[in-house]
Amino acid sequence: MTKEERLKKRHSAEKRFRFYGLASIFVALLFVLILVHNIFSKGSSAFMKTAINVEVFFDQELLEIKNDASDDEILEADFFDITIESLIKVYPAKNVEEEDAIIELFTTDAEIEIKRAFLENNNLIGKKINLEITASDDIDQLHKGNYPRDIPEDRRRISDFQLVIYDNLVENQKIVKNFNNYFFKNGDSRDPELAGIGGALIGSFYSIIICLLLAFPVAVLASIYLEEFAPKNKITDFIEININNLAAVPSIVYGLLALQILLATIQLPRSTPLVAGITLALMTLPRIIIPCRASLKAVPPSIREGALAVGASKFQSVFHHVVPLALPGTLSGTIIGLAQALGETAPLILIGMVAFVVDIPSTPIDPSSSLPVQVYLWSESAERGFVEKTSATIMMLLSFLIVMNFLAVYLRQKFEKRWN
Amino acid sequence: MELMNEIKIKSKNLNVYYGEKQALFDVNLDLNEKEVTALIGPSGCGKSTFIRCINRMNDVIDICKVSGNIEIDGVEINDKNLDVVSLRERVGMVFQKPNPFPKSIYDNISYGPKIHGKGETKSELDEIVENSLKKAALWEEVKDRLDEPGTGLSGGQQQRLCIARAISVNPEVILMDEPCSALDPIATAKIEELIDELKKTYTIVIVTHSMAQAVRVSQKTGFFHLGKLIEVGKTEKIFKNPDNKMTQDYITGRFG
Repeated sequence: MTKEERLKKRHSAEKRFRFYGLASIFVALLFVLILVHNIFSKGSSAFMKTAINVEVFFDQELLEIKNDASDDEILEADFFDITIESLIKVYPAKNVEEEDAIIELFTTDAEIEIKRAFLENNNLIGKKINLEITASDDIDQLHKGNYPRDIPEDRRRISDFQLVIYDNLVENQKIVKNFNNYFFKNGDSRDPELAGIGGALIGSFYSIIICLLLAFPVAVLASIYLEEFAPKNKITDFIEININNLAAVPSIVYGLLALQILLATIQLPRSTPLVAGITLALMTLPRIIIPCRASLKAVPPSIREGALAVGASKFQSVFHHVVPLALPGTLSGTIIGLAQALGETAPLILIGMVAFVVDIPSTPIDPSSSLPVQVYLWSESAERGFVEKTSATIMMLLSFLIVMNFLAVYLRQKFEKRWN
Repeated sequence: MELMNEIKIKSKNLNVYYGEKQALFDVNLDLNEKEVTALIGPSGCGKSTFIRCINRMNDVIDICKVSGNIEIDGVEINDKNLDVVSLRERVGMVFQKPNPFPKSIYDNISYGPKIHGKGETKSELDEIVENSLKKAALWEEVKDRLDEPGTGLSGGQQQRLCIARAISVNPEVILMDEPCSALDPIATAKIEELIDELKKTYTIVIVTHSMAQAVRVSQKTGFFHLGKLIEVGKTEKIFKNPDNKMTQDYITGRFG
């Protein structure tokens, strides 16, 4: 081979490699794009809810309370009759079946929504007000265009009569789209229009805080001891290998461990953020120790020697010089570990967080859900309303993860100090 | 002929092992007070290992074992019960590569005094910082930017900062491990001038690869080869008329 040929071959090899590299990046980006597009197109509609404008007349004859009733009295009172009377007026019904069909257009919580309006203003008896009552899931999905209306009636959840009412309501501009506050405020529900991630958000928040409080100090102290103080011998080698092994253990195994030890033996309350936090802390511990040790290792030995040479003790050289320099790496490693923990599902399913929890947890020892488990739960539901809610929950989860990862990068860049 | 100063540091049958490998063999070397002793010899001959015994920096290396005696002012320092912190307060060290802390110039100097409880007040610390920097001939260059990072200085300035840092705790001995090997000739000349000045106050031991430097700065020179101290004597004698053939060969550049 001549020199020119060799040179040509070398250049073409480089060109080929560049092409392969670009192609891989392109394929990866394409998949990310498809994923994001899929989630957004399905999930973005969940942030709005459909409501129907209803005229409510607070008829004294249908209510057992009077104006200026106390909150307790209102909560006790029965608003069922007034709810039915108000709802069926949105369209003239000929018989009881048709009345039932009209009522089905609304959420089952219509009574509560009317009661809430009365709670805000307990002086409404004898007055008429317009309320935007949340529509049922079927109308919600139909209005958002997620539900086909051109299929035979017996395969539809909405009857022809209901479609006529719906079209009439649309024509009279009685149907509105509002911000879906239920999605952020409410706990889980069997009715998609009422289901929200409020409980899951709080549950995830408590779990991650407990995970952070347990895992961060333990991981940092363990890393500092192992990296700076522990003698280098077979035992520390063994510990190091096993920390790496633990980081690779499938998370479901930690769930089994928690099930046996935390729930069965110690008898901590099931389905609670407390147990979830402890389980996630166990799982996250080695995942924080590894980057933490790496950033301690990255501090040049000359800094330690410099400190020792002016008479700093080992402890002083570590805590005055090495740890501050390793802190940015430690913090970003911790945040990335927590981000992983936030998205973890399998161990939480095993400790019972998969339970159907309607109430918003007020303490870490109340039963609760968490964001990834909520995704899992809703993804198994048949109703169309849960499809968009699944995607919207994923959007929330992903945005938390992205924020955390940005925070990690930001902290590292902001506090990283340069040494020669 | 000028009189030899008193002996400050005395090593007797000093042996050092790195695991299985022996790095120093029965080194007997006396270092005189307020004098510069240069240690020369080819790479890996044990010069650095020797000076790291004087402030017990070898303790940091797990596999390093030291046997034999080193006395400073007649007190044994190679003793497990000895507090290395107070030893290193007396014996400062400057390393081959400048290693200022990634902190301000001021904090670089004030760190040592602070941890040893010298300079209780801010004004005392200010004074220590100023004096140390003046002694290290760096004050004029940095007095207006004491709060800037020490790592932002040039290589030669960084090394003088490290010397100032060593001086700040008012040691008796300063060990220098090839302090000029990473510096250009101008910075080197400045450091050498400085060493000449410092020897009035401190006992200095310098490891160097530059024969010319040893001649310029030192009064006494020791030649190491393969972990053994081959010859030690007045610098003039070692370079003009060494007793040992190997010393002769090394200083004339026949090997090394």
